[in-house]
Amino acid sequence: MTVRWIVRTASEICVTAGTLIVLFVVYLLFWTGIRADSAMDGEIGRLQDQWSAGPPAASAGRSAAPPAAEPRPYEPGKPFAVMYIPRLGTDWAKPVLQGTTTGVLQRGLGHYDRTARLGETGNFAVAGHRRTYGDPFKDFPELRPGDAVVLTDGTTWFTYRIDNRPYTTLPADIGVIDPVPQKSGYRGPGRYLTLTTCEPEWGHSHRLIAWAHLDSTQPVEQGRPSALTG
Amino acid sequence: MYGWIWRHLPGNTWVKALISLVLVLAVVFVLFQWVFPWAEPLLPFNDVTVDQGMAGTR
Repeated sequence: MTVRWIVRTASEICVTAGTLIVLFVVYLLFWTGIRADSAMDGEIGRLQDQWSAGPPAASAGRSAAPPAAEPRPYEPGKPFAVMYIPRLGTDWAKPVLQGTTTGVLQRGLGHYDRTARLGETGNFAVAGHRRTYGDPFKDFPELRPGDAVVLTDGTTWFTYRIDNRPYTTLPADIGVIDPVPQKSGYRGPGRYLTLTTCEPEWGHSHRLIAWAHLDSTQPVEQGRPSALTG
Repeated sequence: MYGWIWRHLPGNTWVKALISLVLVLAVVFVLFQWVFPWAEPLLPFNDVTVDQGMAGTR
């Protein structure tokens, strides 16, 4: 138990701790992105397989069954739509999964339970990572009124238009995903969409919110909407 | 600590170096596969939702 031994052990611990921290940063910045990108590609691929495999329930319902037929509920943790936001990149396409648990958000965007279904009256609310896990909403502050948020569920293209600059709020502000979010300026029931992510970029003290309204829909047979092609 | 490990590895210098490399890779694998995924949700980057009731997002 000499001074030399103490100094050596202490420095070894410091070097080990430093190496651990560097490795953890590499994991966060790099490895979670790789994992998430391949998981998201997998989810989108699974959706496209599903859609090409046969006529989805919704389109069958449109032609044959009475319109009152309840659509199939979204399964927790399963993808049901793909989202495109041209402002975040022309090749920006992410799967939307049901639920907002940690595991779901590592594989795509998460649709809040108990909020409206895609394209229906109410508020279709979606959360996504700002940083780590593929950084899907990294450029969220770049969103501007009029920007398109396009989604497809395999039968229909839904084009939403953003109505506000990203709005900063507190994490407990559940009102932002209400069917008619008061702070958005919307006053009556409508077909709305809410996007949420964290603010600041690497923190969790606030949330960043964007609201949009449904602008147009078109069946997939008519091709991609003008917001994506134009 | 590292000196102790080095002295207890079998073989000559080259064998020791090879075993050390394998050990380092094994440690990195364990960290990336299990330790970091466990530690990561404790950091704030996961909090992207507005309902606090969702304990799973913490």
